[in-house]
Order: sequence, then C-alpha cells, then structure tokens
Amino acid sequence: MACRRYFFTLTRHYSSLRASKSQSFHPLKSLTSHIPFLQRLPHTLSPTFDSPSFLFRNFSSRTKNPKNPKIIDDEYDDHDDNVEDDDEDEDDEEDDEEDYSSEEEVAVSNEPSKFSDRSYFAEDKIQEAADIGYKVIEPLQRSDRVFKPYEPAFAVVQVGSHQFKVSNGDCIYVEKLKYCEVNDKLILNKVLMAGSPTQTMIGRPILPDVAVNAVVEEHALDAKVIIFKKKRRKNYRRTKGHRQELTRLRITDIQGIEKPETPLAVKPAKTSAKKAEKVAVAA
Amino acid sequence: MTRVKRGYIARRRRKNSLTRNITQQKIRALVSAHRDRDRQKSDFRRLWITRINAVIPEKEVYYNYSKFIHDLYKRHLLLNHKILAQIAILNRNYIYMIYNEIIKNEDSKEYLEMI
Repeated sequence: MACRRYFFTLTRHYSSLRASKSQSFHPLKSLTSHIPFLQRLPHTLSPTFDSPSFLFRNFSSRTKNPKNPKIIDDEYDDHDDNVEDDDEDEDDEEDDEEDYSSEEEVAVSNEPSKFSDRSYFAEDKIQEAADIGYKVIEPLQRSDRVFKPYEPAFAVVQVGSHQFKVSNGDCIYVEKLKYCEVNDKLILNKVLMAGSPTQTMIGRPILPDVAVNAVVEEHALDAKVIIFKKKRRKNYRRTKGHRQELTRLRITDIQGIEKPETPLAVKPAKTSAKKAEKVAVAA
Repeated sequence: MTRVKRGYIARRRRKNSLTRNITQQKIRALVSAHRDRDRQKSDFRRLWITRINAVIPEKEVYYNYSKFIHDLYKRHLLLNHKILAQIAILNRNYIYMIYNEIIKNEDSKEYLEMI
C-alpha cells in the first residue's frame, strides 16, 4: 500500500512538474494564504487526485490579466516576476471573483471559471487541455502523404488515463479529445516505452525525445450500452441508455527511435541486377 | 381461463422445469450485463496479473509478480498492467529488458549503500 501511495504521489508530482515548473507551487500558496475566502473552493478539492489539473485551471483564472495571456511563457520568467504579476491580478479581479464564489459556492467550482475563461484565452485553454490529454495539435493539411507502410517499431503511449501499445498504421479509440477536429494531426508526447528490433528505450517515467504522430479520423459515439437497475420484489426498475463519445486516431509515425532499414524485398532484385551486370561486364 | 388443456401444465412440469419467460430472460440478461461490466475491469486485471506472474520468474529464482511491481514503482516506471501483460506475451524479450534495467540500478544502489 505504501508503494501505491508512493506511485500516486509520483504521478501527481510528475504531472505537476510536467505541466508547470515546480516554482509555480509557491506563487499559488502565497495567493491562497493572502485571500483564503477566494481560493477556498479549489483548495478543498486539491487533495483529490485531480490536483494538478485543478491547479492548472486555477492558474488560468488567476492570469485573466491581458498583460500575461500565456501561462506557459510566464513560467520561463523569474520567480519574482510571476509573484508580482499575480499580485496585480489579485487586486483587479477581487471584485469579480467574489461575486462568482458567493453565488455558486460548493458544487460547480471550477466549471464556471472554465466557461468564463474559454472565450478570453482560447489558446491557453487549448494548451492546458492538450497537456492534460498529452497531445499537441498541428494544423491540418491536405495532400500530405502521411501514411507509411508498416514498420516493426512500437511505442507505449498514454492518452488521458489509458495506455496503448501502438505501432505504425494502428487505429486506436480514445476518450473524446476536445479542441480536435477531423483530419487534424496530433503529436502524442507522453510515451512510456518504445521498442524496435534494433533498439529499446524505457522511459522513467516518460521518454522525452520520442513523439508519436497521429491523425484524427473521426469523432464518434460508442455502441449503446443499456444501464439497467433492478431491485427484486421492491417494484424498482430503471432503464437508461448510454453512448460514450470517442475519438478514433490513426497512428502514422513514431519519431525518435531507430528503425531497422528493411530493404529485404528490394535486395534480391538489386543483387540479381548486379549479377546480370557483372556477367555482362565479364563477358 | 387458465389451464384449458390439462396436458400443457403437466408437460411443463415433466419436461422443462427450468424455464423462464422471455421477458424474465431479458431482464436477467440486462442485469448481468450491468453487473459484469463493473466486474470486467477487475477480471481483466486479474488476468493480466496472472500472465505477468507467469512470465517473470523465468529469469531468476525467488522473483515474482509482487517483487516486480515493487521494483517498477521504485524505478519510476508508469507502465500499467495491461501493457505489461501484452508485452509479456507478444514481445517477451522486452520484459526481460525492463527487468534488467530494474535490477541493474538496484545493484548499483546496494553497492553505494554498502560503501
């Protein structure tokens, strides 16, 4: 059990580190201590396992100031700059956020802030959601010869909380990815392991240099599942249908791992041609 | 108007006593599906654990699933059971490579502690 707890804290630490530099914890703590009333909601929710994602959303609501639109750029600045900017934001947003938190206190904590922010900084939201789902969107392109023939290399990729063992040309069904349209190219950058006949790479916990390219094929609903509840002899029966929203991705390429060159099909032809030439020369 | 033909009830009693109506069958089917969809998750996890446990002790004596998973967590590997089981079956050598990676660092750590 200690191991599981350790694993848990490891993933949490890792994802928080990956999402934002470790320094970001400090400005957040200073903020929460400064105005406990405001930050009561996400703070109570932070002990749950979604803490890194909540922290992220928290950050975005904090930086509503158009001076600092992009969170990720801020983290590369000094720690002091970050703290100063956030203090300025606090004063500006106090009134706005007080109204929010007074109206909708406990239940819908992060959602109103998310909806309110979506219109302002769509780029931020997209980047955050992409980091949570471990994908990055590239602009879609036509007339791109993306699909290569099969290569014997595989990679273990994590999307959301599911892991897939994936190789070139595979098709995977994934929980619906927002901010993604059909025929979009994605990069899945959380790769846990990659292997090929010549090379194996095991990530601790991820491999930073390996990237898996994928193309969004469609956003579809799963087959219908009927949820049926019954208590016998108590005259209680409920029926409900459910279709899960999925996204189908087709894996096009794995970059960052050595793939063996397989000219096996080509070699015999070449050698035979050479032999024919040699014979001709000799003769 | 029950039991118009006396033989109908008698036949049922004699032949197929384990019958249910179609409506009953449908209800039981739906309930089983709902219940087993939750069990499916734990069933598959058991299967993966069994498969991993079958493959692991081939390299070293007194090494089994529990120790393997403990070492995985120690070495900060986030592969989950489904993938491990798949790798264990399809690409057997990769499991051995993972095992070597884990063991290698453990030995170096022990050396450091001893020194």
